[in-house]
Amino acid sequence: MTTGNTKPRVGIFGLTGCAGDQLQILNCEDELLWLAGTINIVDWVMVKSENDHSCRLDIAFVEGVVATELDLEMLRTIRARTTFLVALGTCAVWGGLPAMRNEIPKGVLDREVARAGDPTVLDAVEALPATHFVPFDFLLPGCPIERHEFLATVNSLLFGTVPELPAVPVCLECKTRENVCRVIEHDEVCCGAMTRGGCGARCPSHGVACGGCRGPVEEPHYDANATMFGDRGISWVDISARMRKFSAPVWMRMGLEGVIDHER
Amino acid sequence: MNGSASRTITIPHLGRVEGHGGIFLKIVDDRVVEVNLDIHEGSRFYERLLVGKNYLEVQGIITRVCAICSADHTVAALMALENALGLPETERVQRLRGLLLLGAAIESHALHVFALALPDYLGFDSVIAMSEKYPTEVASALQLKQLGNRVQELVGGRPVHPINPIVGGFGRLPSHRQLSALREELTGAIDSAMRFVDLAVTLELPGWSTNPTVFMALRPDDAVYRFRGLTLCTSRGEEYPAASYREVVQEYAVEHSHAKHAALASGGTYMVGALARLWLLGDRLGGRAREAYERLFPDGVQPNVLLNNWAQLVEIVHCLERGVALCDELVSVSETDRDAIEFEVRAGRGIAAIEVPRGILFHEYEIDDHGTVVAANIVTPTAQNLANVEDDLRAAAEALLLTGLPCGDAELQGNLEMVVRAYDPCISCSVHVVRVDS
Repeated sequence: MTTGNTKPRVGIFGLTGCAGDQLQILNCEDELLWLAGTINIVDWVMVKSENDHSCRLDIAFVEGVVATELDLEMLRTIRARTTFLVALGTCAVWGGLPAMRNEIPKGVLDREVARAGDPTVLDAVEALPATHFVPFDFLLPGCPIERHEFLATVNSLLFGTVPELPAVPVCLECKTRENVCRVIEHDEVCCGAMTRGGCGARCPSHGVACGGCRGPVEEPHYDANATMFGDRGISWVDISARMRKFSAPVWMRMGLEGVIDHER
Repeated sequence: MNGSASRTITIPHLGRVEGHGGIFLKIVDDRVVEVNLDIHEGSRFYERLLVGKNYLEVQGIITRVCAICSADHTVAALMALENALGLPETERVQRLRGLLLLGAAIESHALHVFALALPDYLGFDSVIAMSEKYPTEVASALQLKQLGNRVQELVGGRPVHPINPIVGGFGRLPSHRQLSALREELTGAIDSAMRFVDLAVTLELPGWSTNPTVFMALRPDDAVYRFRGLTLCTSRGEEYPAASYREVVQEYAVEHSHAKHAALASGGTYMVGALARLWLLGDRLGGRAREAYERLFPDGVQPNVLLNNWAQLVEIVHCLERGVALCDELVSVSETDRDAIEFEVRAGRGIAAIEVPRGILFHEYEIDDHGTVVAANIVTPTAQNLANVEDDLRAAAEALLLTGLPCGDAELQGNLEMVVRAYDPCISCSVHVVRVDS
């Protein structure tokens, strides 16, 4: 990534979202000054007031969904000036929670929301992950991202490679921690078997079912999981609400909405 | 000056604030004729998304309105839901949630005061640039911020979007050993926070940002400085039950912003946040926080929003001291793994109001007999402050032009940005929404 002694030029950007992934970078308190000395952060509006919005970038990190025309324009501009583009967080990779709004028909939003006198609905386009619009070179899921995975990514990029991040489901990490199973013992909708690990099964380790915040593993087997929860007497509405929470666009694309409606 | 001189000031993208916002000002003959704080962050309709979902899904969704305030939204949502379900909050749960809010306040205030605001007063473009001349200060600031995160990790499960707090209590309780270790860290951090008070008293804040306004805060029932209470009180002497917030705060849509604005039903824009809390409740501070308060506000609290940065600094000291006391209280009762009460789901409506770093946060939910969310309403501090920010921008620009000092676009822009930044606006929070009238 670097040539000679020059530090790579890096930009960090947020589209529509909660800014949680940028905050996680700031939450690397022990490494922040090392980071600032190792890479040259030239464009980071959340943290700096003097930014270069037009120079070439060796690496750029983008979090959030595309929810407005402005987001899309910004994303395309970033892609055009960047050599290595990293999607930061579940919103950018899978659509995250903001993409849930796509399930509400436009007519309903217009009727219920516009009536309440809200100006925001006027330019509301469908909320979709950044990965839907431009090619990315690396994906870093998580809601929010794990700090150690971000640092591993930066470190690897400095050496011209990408890190090997866990691709196993949360369920596997949960088993190695010897947690009590939230499905078997508590009849809860736990997304651990469908969700990509790397978090160390944080939620089940706290006695709380996995919410699926890191997005799906490569083969999530949604249908088998849904059947398993259904057999335990959990309502299809609750099952689908939880399972599609963080990755609604994938869920919709796979036609699972129809399956659930049919079963219902 | 001859004829009518007209100029516009446009800042398309505010730096060092959370989210996407800009400033537009039109000035004719040294009078501001138009002022817009443009919020162009996309909407996410979170309140509408909750409708039809099970109440157990609420916390995991609503915490993601905003990362910096995620612990605050979590606590407010759980309190409102428990209110709707008629559940009591056990003493232990109340203390732990209090500790979580303190951690969130330490992290949020430290991030804002040291990393976002302080560079303005010391003449740098970012905290990173500042670290070259002030390495010890920046290191110590980052440690304070990290300590706030450590509290959130211990109680909330992680620093952003907590997973451990649930309806009725917590998934896993911190052990006494962990709480005792945290207590020592909090104690040790008080001195380093006080060193920033030493630094802050040497910095002179400008007077052009002074603009009288109404302050509002939540008043605790006991005569203590806390982030919880049941009464809304204003600097005009008004008092209202917090549960009547819909009658007290009037929200309205404006064309240039994706976020709603707010005003008091009794008239006028108002400010919530650390400065408002100090104005209304500062006399209740004790310990080292009282010392910080007296040193930073020798003439009492003035209506100058730039002082909000120092008010947050006073609150960092308060949160550290209060955190030590809460840890002591928590280890004085017997240790247990889990504290989550059993309950039956029933229909109901619940409201919660708490003080969070940027001001008063309201959450309200209505659920049916099956636990399905029927209606949700959230009013964030930043949305309440936006109209006041615009008023302050107008006043600051006119005061600056009146000084007769050279006032080029760059100076004006820099100063106006400082005004917005002092509010510590959280733009993600302000655009989360849409109220659904059921």
